[in-house]
Amino acid sequence: MKNNLPEFDEAKLTAYALNELDGAERGAVEKIIAENAAARQWVEEARQTARELETELQGEECPALTSEQTRALQQKIRAADKPSFWTRQWFPSLRLVEALAVVAIVAVLAAMLLPALAKAKNKSKRSVAVAEQRQKDLEKEYAKTEADQSASTGVAPGSDMPAVPLEMNPVATMPAPAPVMAPPPSGSPQLDGSLSYGVVTKSAAPGAVGVASISGGANGGQGAARSLQAITVYSSVNYQAGPSAVAAPADSFAVAGKLRDRDDKTFYYRFKQPAMTTGDFNTESYAAINDNPFLTALQNPLSTFSIDVDTASYANVRRFLTENQLPPPDAVRIEEMVNYFHYNYPQPKGDVPFSVNAEVAGCPWNPEHRLVRIGLKGREITRDQRPPSNLVFLIDVSGSMNEPNKLPLLKETLKLLTRQLSENDHVSIVVYAGAAGMVLPETSGSEKATILRALDRLQAGGSTHGSAGIRLAYETATENFIEGGVNRVILCTDGDFNVGMTSQGELTRLITDKAKSGVFLSVLGFGMGNYKDSTMEMLADKGNGNYAYIDTLNEGRKVLVEQMSGTLVTIAKDVKIQIEFNPAQVDSYRLIGYENRLLAKEDFNNDKKDAGEIGAGHTVTALYEVVPAGMTSDETPAVDPLKYQKPAKPRFITSGSDELLTLKLRYKQPDGDTSRLISTPIKDTDRSYARASTDFKFAAAVAEFGMLLRGSPYKGEASYRSAWEHAKANLGNDPEGYRAEFLTLVETAQRLAGK
Amino acid sequence: MTENKSDWIKAALREHEGPLMRYATQITGDVDRARDVVQDTFLRLCAEEPARLDGHLAQWLFTVCRNRALDIQRKEQRMKPLDDIELAAQPSRETSPAAQAEHNESAGRVQRFMKHLPPNQQEVVRLKFQNGLSYKEIAGVTKLSVTNVGFLIHTALKTLRQQMTETEGTL
Repeated sequence: MKNNLPEFDEAKLTAYALNELDGAERGAVEKIIAENAAARQWVEEARQTARELETELQGEECPALTSEQTRALQQKIRAADKPSFWTRQWFPSLRLVEALAVVAIVAVLAAMLLPALAKAKNKSKRSVAVAEQRQKDLEKEYAKTEADQSASTGVAPGSDMPAVPLEMNPVATMPAPAPVMAPPPSGSPQLDGSLSYGVVTKSAAPGAVGVASISGGANGGQGAARSLQAITVYSSVNYQAGPSAVAAPADSFAVAGKLRDRDDKTFYYRFKQPAMTTGDFNTESYAAINDNPFLTALQNPLSTFSIDVDTASYANVRRFLTENQLPPPDAVRIEEMVNYFHYNYPQPKGDVPFSVNAEVAGCPWNPEHRLVRIGLKGREITRDQRPPSNLVFLIDVSGSMNEPNKLPLLKETLKLLTRQLSENDHVSIVVYAGAAGMVLPETSGSEKATILRALDRLQAGGSTHGSAGIRLAYETATENFIEGGVNRVILCTDGDFNVGMTSQGELTRLITDKAKSGVFLSVLGFGMGNYKDSTMEMLADKGNGNYAYIDTLNEGRKVLVEQMSGTLVTIAKDVKIQIEFNPAQVDSYRLIGYENRLLAKEDFNNDKKDAGEIGAGHTVTALYEVVPAGMTSDETPAVDPLKYQKPAKPRFITSGSDELLTLKLRYKQPDGDTSRLISTPIKDTDRSYARASTDFKFAAAVAEFGMLLRGSPYKGEASYRSAWEHAKANLGNDPEGYRAEFLTLVETAQRLAGK
Repeated sequence: MTENKSDWIKAALREHEGPLMRYATQITGDVDRARDVVQDTFLRLCAEEPARLDGHLAQWLFTVCRNRALDIQRKEQRMKPLDDIELAAQPSRETSPAAQAEHNESAGRVQRFMKHLPPNQQEVVRLKFQNGLSYKEIAGVTKLSVTNVGFLIHTALKTLRQQMTETEGTL
């Protein structure tokens, strides 16, 4: 609707239209309606839409209970009249003697009734039991195949199976999947919930036992789902774990045993290890992250980093938690978690493509520290302002994509995008597996049926020649280049490049080179098991791109429908932030997250140095934890005095400026080569945490949660409980329910962490 | 209330079985699971005092039904390995999302647009327009504030309205 009423009033109008208001509120809205034609019109439209919804939704078919269930219920209902007879109505009015008599009668009655009641209850539960039985049958069948297989390969189920996988398997305490296992062989410890057992029994060579357990166990962090997947993968690679792997077990178990203390490097190792020993195996890879330390403002006054609008890490963390697993710390990139959420920064004014905002308030996990929030907001563009686009879908159809949460989900996600396109848009589809090929030559967005059909026909199979696909996709994009439009390759993959160019170095060079063509890149990650987070993040980073992880169709809708303009339309590129801290105000500071986005201070003014892009409507948030000057900080470890140099005397601190810091930004226009500079000083107005904005508090809660998941040494007083409470109190409007979903993730993590 | 408790439950069953089944099916995505949920909801109703639920029976039923359905969903997620096995064994299942999508296309236009709303908006819209609950009742069922429910319904109506007028005439 076209009027200038604030959002709040509009919602009130709707409530009025639906007869949800009474008294004073009703009167107030009636007054608005009388004066405002647009309001009147909306009330009418809302009612009309409501009517249409009611007609259609109420006409939707209702399934019914089964007749067996209904019978069981009827029986229970008939019995329902009896209990109320003796519980409620009689007792209050009874005198003691009568009461005793009643008790006796009740006892007799109960003796008579209970068996009947129990019977009724049993019966009523039968259909539930039927469902459970179905489940059990499946489990049995699985156990049977399992046993058959181990029998046919002639391997005695590992009677000397090490108990280590149990130790290192965080699922161990999870009761549910336990029945899925085959019964353990006599003499071996009960592997509670660890499906690595299944993998073990399937291995052909004794040496493979250890390796298989590593994969199942190491990915035990991933839970039952993954371990089972390991089985499938395992058989398909023809027992690759051969003699070469024999040496691995002892070491690997030692490594695996350490997993519990969540050492970053160990975790990195854990995902790398099976890859090294068995080649294409069930592996996820994450680059190690070490939390940024506190730096003193005197010695390191400049903090420089590239912005990051990716959200993949949050979706990936969510995937782990919904599977009842704590994510490995290296999968947790705090900036991507914070940036997953939308914050209400104002729209930019003038010709700068984004607005720059800052807020300083108390730090919730360390009350003596200050928290600085820096927020950028890219200019929003409406649907009809979106420039014409030339999109190349580059789709991985290799064998590894043949899983329900990969290719099928990918197709549905791209269909969602396709439905949003118009005749101004053009789509080509390039696929790659063992080789690369063009499935759909440039087609107008108005020919939706053609594009949808091409997507439907895709099938998975073969190895993954990623680099060939990348080349063909960029060639296609360049051929159809639209001057001043959106030119973008959308790469959909699990990131597992195993043929052709497979080293990160070569891929980096290829993508860096391709990025110069002016074609931008979006990387959509799918699936799990052999998910290569590090490769994909690198591709997006070097290829002028953004990176999202699609774990559900809903996430696909968020990235490609809700935030379509942000994902597709870049409004500024190579956006760098440099902050100069004022030592008169700041003792030391710490950038939260952005570990792999740090830049050298010299890079800030170097226009050759690539940095992050910002899309239309995107918000970017960065948080600094600051130790105020004058506070003795134990956060920065002492360094021995230098032997060959006199320690530089702290230089004269300019005046007593009360500025906390100066925020500097550099960015380029999407098609430009020279950067522009924005610079703005920020003061600390001594605002307490309690008085901070809703968005500030919510972003802080997300950071707090991220630090906990990472086991950050800087988490201070952070706890799942406080992260939950701070988030809960600051949900804001939350139109898509993302913030509410965050709460459930914190609850899950708290439960899994056993705190 | 002179009415028998059993009559009261029977009336509740007559009136709410269908809508609750529909609601539970939407949450669990599976009719069999929904049946277990709804049966359990009514079993719980048998243990309740009619007087205590007077005036907010519908809200109580939808709340219990929702909580049970979400419980089951959570458990299902832990059970996922089984589904994976099934899926791995039947590659034909791969086409089911497509078939599903086609089915959606043939459904009424409101439902087609509904699919594009975030799940939380879909849920409140259904509670409101399919099941006739008030904002306050919906807030009770979903544990959201009344203001937030109002905001979600408003946002959903606005989006739906916009999409309906945009596509009027075309396809």
